Amino acid sequence: MTLTREQIRGDIAGALGEDPADIPFDENLLDHGLDSVRIMTLLEQWRREHGVEADFADLAEQPAIDAWAPLLGAS
Amino acid sequence: MTTPVTTPVTALVTAGGRTAPAGPVTELPLTAAQSGMWYAQALDPLSPAQNTAECLEIDGPLDAAVFAAALRQVTAEADVLRVRVEDTPDGPRQHLCAGIEVPLTVHDLRDADADADADDAVPRAEAWMRADLAEPCDLAAGPLFRHALFRVGEERWLWYQRVHHLVMDGFGYSLLVRRTAEVYSALARGEEPAPRTFGTLAELVAQDAEYRSSDAFVADRAHWGRAFADRPEAPRLAGRGALPSRTFRRRTAYLAPDTTERLRDLAARTRATWPDVLIAAQALYTARATARQEVVLGLPMMGRLGSVALRVPGMVMNVLPLRLAVSPDATFAELVRQVVLGVREIRRHQRYRYEDIRRDLGLLGENRSLVGPLVNVMPFDYGVDFAGAPARARNLSAGPVDDLTVNIYDRADGRGLRVDHDGNPALYEDSDLAAHQERFLGLLDRLCAGDPQLPLSTHGIATPAEEALVVDEFNRTDREVPPTTLIGPIESRAARTPDATALLYGDSVLTYAELNARANRLARHLRTLGARPGAVVAVSVPRSVELVVSLLAVLKAGAAYLPLDPDYPARRLTYMLQDAQPVCAVTDRAGRLPGDAGTPLVVLDGLDVSAHLPVDPARALTPAHPAYVIYTSGSTGRPKGVVVPHGAIDNRLRWMQHTYGLTAEDRVLQKTPSSFDVSVWEFFWPLREGAALVLAEPGGHKDPAYLARLIRERSVSTCHFVPSMLQVFLADADTAGCDALRRVFCSGEALPRETANAFGRALPDVELHNLYGPTEAAVDVTHHACAPAGTGPVPIGRPVWNTRLYVLDAALQPCPPGIPGELFLAGEQLADGYLNRPELTASRFAADPFGAPGARMYRTGDLARWTAGGEVEYLGRTDHQVKLRGQRVELGEVEAALTGQPGVDGACALVREDRLVGYVTGGADPTTVRAALARELPEHLVPAAVVALEAFPLSPNGKLDRRELPAPVYAGGPDARRPAGPREETLTRLFAEVLGVERPGPDDAFFDLGGTSLLAVRLVNRIREEFGAELTIGSLFEAPTPAALAARLADAGLAAEDALDVVLPLRAEGDRPPLFAFHPAGGIAWCYAGLAARLGPGQPVYGIQARGLIGDEPLPRTLQEQAADYVGHIRAVRPHGPYRLLGWSVGGILAHTVATLLQEAGETVDLLALLDAFPAEQWRERPAPEEGDALTAVLRMAGFDRAGERTRDDVLATLRRASSPLAGLTDHTLSRIVDIVPNHARMMREHHHRPYDGDVLFFTAAAPRPEDWLTREAWRPHVRGAVVNHDLDCTHPQLMRDRHLDTVAAALAARLKELGA
Repeated sequence: MTLTREQIRGDIAGALGEDPADIPFDENLLDHGLDSVRIMTLLEQWRREHGVEADFADLAEQPAIDAWAPLLGAS
Repeated sequence: MTTPVTTPVTALVTAGGRTAPAGPVTELPLTAAQSGMWYAQALDPLSPAQNTAECLEIDGPLDAAVFAAALRQVTAEADVLRVRVEDTPDGPRQHLCAGIEVPLTVHDLRDADADADADDAVPRAEAWMRADLAEPCDLAAGPLFRHALFRVGEERWLWYQRVHHLVMDGFGYSLLVRRTAEVYSALARGEEPAPRTFGTLAELVAQDAEYRSSDAFVADRAHWGRAFADRPEAPRLAGRGALPSRTFRRRTAYLAPDTTERLRDLAARTRATWPDVLIAAQALYTARATARQEVVLGLPMMGRLGSVALRVPGMVMNVLPLRLAVSPDATFAELVRQVVLGVREIRRHQRYRYEDIRRDLGLLGENRSLVGPLVNVMPFDYGVDFAGAPARARNLSAGPVDDLTVNIYDRADGRGLRVDHDGNPALYEDSDLAAHQERFLGLLDRLCAGDPQLPLSTHGIATPAEEALVVDEFNRTDREVPPTTLIGPIESRAARTPDATALLYGDSVLTYAELNARANRLARHLRTLGARPGAVVAVSVPRSVELVVSLLAVLKAGAAYLPLDPDYPARRLTYMLQDAQPVCAVTDRAGRLPGDAGTPLVVLDGLDVSAHLPVDPARALTPAHPAYVIYTSGSTGRPKGVVVPHGAIDNRLRWMQHTYGLTAEDRVLQKTPSSFDVSVWEFFWPLREGAALVLAEPGGHKDPAYLARLIRERSVSTCHFVPSMLQVFLADADTAGCDALRRVFCSGEALPRETANAFGRALPDVELHNLYGPTEAAVDVTHHACAPAGTGPVPIGRPVWNTRLYVLDAALQPCPPGIPGELFLAGEQLADGYLNRPELTASRFAADPFGAPGARMYRTGDLARWTAGGEVEYLGRTDHQVKLRGQRVELGEVEAALTGQPGVDGACALVREDRLVGYVTGGADPTTVRAALARELPEHLVPAAVVALEAFPLSPNGKLDRRELPAPVYAGGPDARRPAGPREETLTRLFAEVLGVERPGPDDAFFDLGGTSLLAVRLVNRIREEFGAELTIGSLFEAPTPAALAARLADAGLAAEDALDVVLPLRAEGDRPPLFAFHPAGGIAWCYAGLAARLGPGQPVYGIQARGLIGDEPLPRTLQEQAADYVGHIRAVRPHGPYRLLGWSVGGILAHTVATLLQEAGETVDLLALLDAFPAEQWRERPAPEEGDALTAVLRMAGFDRAGERTRDDVLATLRRASSPLAGLTDHTLSRIVDIVPNHARMMREHHHRPYDGDVLFFTAAAPRPEDWLTREAWRPHVRGAVVNHDLDCTHPQLMRDRHLDTVAAALAARLKELGA
């Protein structure tokens, strides 16, 4: 099961306790309260459920959905 | 035995991974993060504490050669692994080598031996790792890391890597591991590894430099400065701090998978992450375990998000303080919310270093921590495999542990959370860590299972087993007692043993029958005035037979007695009479009590009660009726009357009799004032048991010598001392001959262990019992028998009969053993409450949540903790109440009295160095204020000093900053004094050099002058170079000024030569005219050091010593010549008078001669004190058998008569046994003394005195002496004024012993005070 951009946004919104609609695709997620623990939690979840191969540094380097989508194999 | 096959694999690697000779070296400064680690290592260069290490368990086939190749490539890619660090004059620098050898050893631990235990491979590997971790790392030599690969099974490997914390942090490890796995997997598959992804060290350094010169740095500094401007105390689970140790203790636990699940679920419900929940749980635990409502935790932060550091293995992490308010009323959800917001705030300022925050706040200089326990959450990415072989990481060392660190690892490997409690071994035993961990995990479990919307007060930290122990087990004190009263058993005793001695006072001896009859007659008289059960009768009679008769009479009439200390000020007495409304007041004579309260008086003087029957009066008295009312200090300024019922005190005395068993042979000393509740058992316990009561004279309780005599002469077997008085008694009184003494009780304040042990030495056959209890619980509720040579704090002990003790936290939950909390008391002995103060009573006597319905408990305000053995230790107060010499002092009451004075706007009181000090604003004259208080308050509530201030110092949040209040005696002015002696001079110079400060004074503290930890390292190095002395950084914290360091170096046994100069500054500081003290025959003035100490700060004292103790100068020919020389030295210290001079022995003759010279030069000499010194003509015709012997003189200077010492070695041995500093004299000095002593004997005999115009203060060593012809009267011709004499019961040398110096110093101080010093 590959991820989609919407799924990514939904999971991030869940981790932040926000409405997915409030999470823009192109903005720095750190400004929305994302932190290393949440990134790690999301990464574990995506590895488990979607066989993602990216690592923590990949995601933490450019914390935005647009940047993550190719790393997470989302179209 | 299996022999491990060990293959050292080392190879030179360079960037790019190919073997090559060592390439060029790049030099870089350290980042701020690295500097912190460098400094920590420099504190203790041989400490291995900075070694961090991990072990990866790899399950699967592994090719060791390929693995080594992978390590070589990763080492070549990771800059920090190739640095070494050198200290340079400009600070530490890191040298980045292009290529280094990778230290890797491979150990095959598979059992080569068939019968070997296959399971021991892992323990052997772990033993190797532990040994490696214990090796300190040489930063200057490098490399700063090491690898080992252990084959512990066919397809099982352990990869150990150890890296110095200066170059690696926890996140850095995860980068190294991921890259190693990636490179290995590629190489194993025969592929080219993906290109290097690491950033460079230079990038880290550049980023650090950029930040430190940025606006963000300035803003961050301001943020932290603001956030912690009030410098909160760090919460310490061990109750104290310690310097970092070289190792740490660790206890590991795993959170069960379902608990981990519930934790994540609770995090989701509170809209937080699981680390937030863990931090909140730790905050709750810490707050409860340290009895605080606010805690500051340390949060290690990876500090890499949105930064190049994300891809640089290295040392970046930072510890930041998180301050949390933990109120019992708040919910856990609210606490978690505080954490979420707090962490968010921290993250905005997370680049500012913890070391810098501490420095900015001035905590570095005080060696104070800012944070309590660290909560180190490491959710690092370890989801890796080695060509398909899965790996699990295990941390072995996360770096030094200052106090306590809770490490929580989430390794993304599906095993749930691992929790390590790491503790500093100087603070925590393994059992302590285990207890903290079990309680923390238990609390976490309950929090995860519970409703986060419930108040925190629903949670305690004790485990169920601990709670059962402290609430039930330790309090099993139930005991059936008959329903009697305080007085009933006394009357039955009188009926049974009418002829036994009941009371001794002076020459009076009363039998039980006589005492009973007198009390009965007075009781019947009192009844005619309204005394009956439930009524109160005041008694204001000084200690005497009449006092005992009066107290018994009140009780016999059925009333409660109210003791009124006749020494109390009139206003206080009036207040108590008006408040208590006694039906009458018994006094010994008219005019004893103020008349304005309108209380009917019963004046014993002239009262005839012979018309009344001498038999026991009938009365309807029950155990529930009040027995006495005792007033104690009240925090609002009004003293409060504690009403204690008969049942309570009866229980107390029955327990006491059962425990200590008084017999008819015993004699109990009554010396405690009747207004202090200890007197209750002194008065009544012996009379209930047929023993005799020995009364001390009024005021006698303050005179140790009198008490010792009384105990001896009256064969006292039982008595009480407040600990501070016991200390004085042991030091001053002659305890020999107190043969009848069997037991001594202490209570009223904390009993120091030293006092208890001194007691054991002085009175080895006497029991010492430490008791504790407030007036509100019938005198005492706990007891502890002191061992003769115990260690550690003296416990207040176990509960007495029918008494329960609770140590409760802020949520009124029981504290486990070892955890401090407030002490609550419950059971039979509680007072009814405070007279006429229902609200105050309700606030201090609450419902007992652990007792039967309707049971009450009393809140003591005392901090205490249970020991594991079920005794209680007293730790201090939760409020501003203090105890001074056993007396309860509510600072609020003192402050209220200060504020009540005209011209006082604001007031504050505190205790400094065992003395009560008041501070006032508003322009009132402090002397007048103090005098006014002395008229209003009992002596113990009157401040020793009142200091007038312009305004009170306030902390940044507007509260009174008590730490900033000035000491009542000011030392020195704004100008620094000149260094005293060459050592201080050198140290002052080194301070100037290292700190770059113009002219530091000898009393300026290093850290106040801008000293940093790095500079401290340099200073210690410079001191080592100059003095050849090894000081630790720790000693710089303890002795931060040149003067203090000089003293420390002197203690370290270095040359003491400047202590042999002519002028010896025993105390140079102080504004008053100095006291010059002249040496005795041996020439050395060290014997006056004790005098300087006793005269206290503010009074300078200089010793004057003979020439020629160090060098080979010629000795003076006449005393006149010698005195003239000394006048020159004295004038160099103080150019003009008035002069104050003192001398012992030959020093007295010198002092007198110097005094005449100064007067002849037109100067004023207003004090001449002679200590057992006699004028020349007394000696002239006598040979000098004593003074002629140098060894005798040396012994005398140390305060000893010469006994059996024959040789110099004998003498030195005696001095060493007595720890005398004279034992350290060099051979040269000793041989000079051999010359100096007879020279003095000769000069003294040839000297002719000229008259001194003034009085002489004389001290006579009054013990019989062989030279019975010596008399101070011989001074008459040479003194125009009076010779005021003080006799001391000692020999000539003993005059310099402590107890006699006390007397000398007291007389001197009184005289100096008269002079207006």
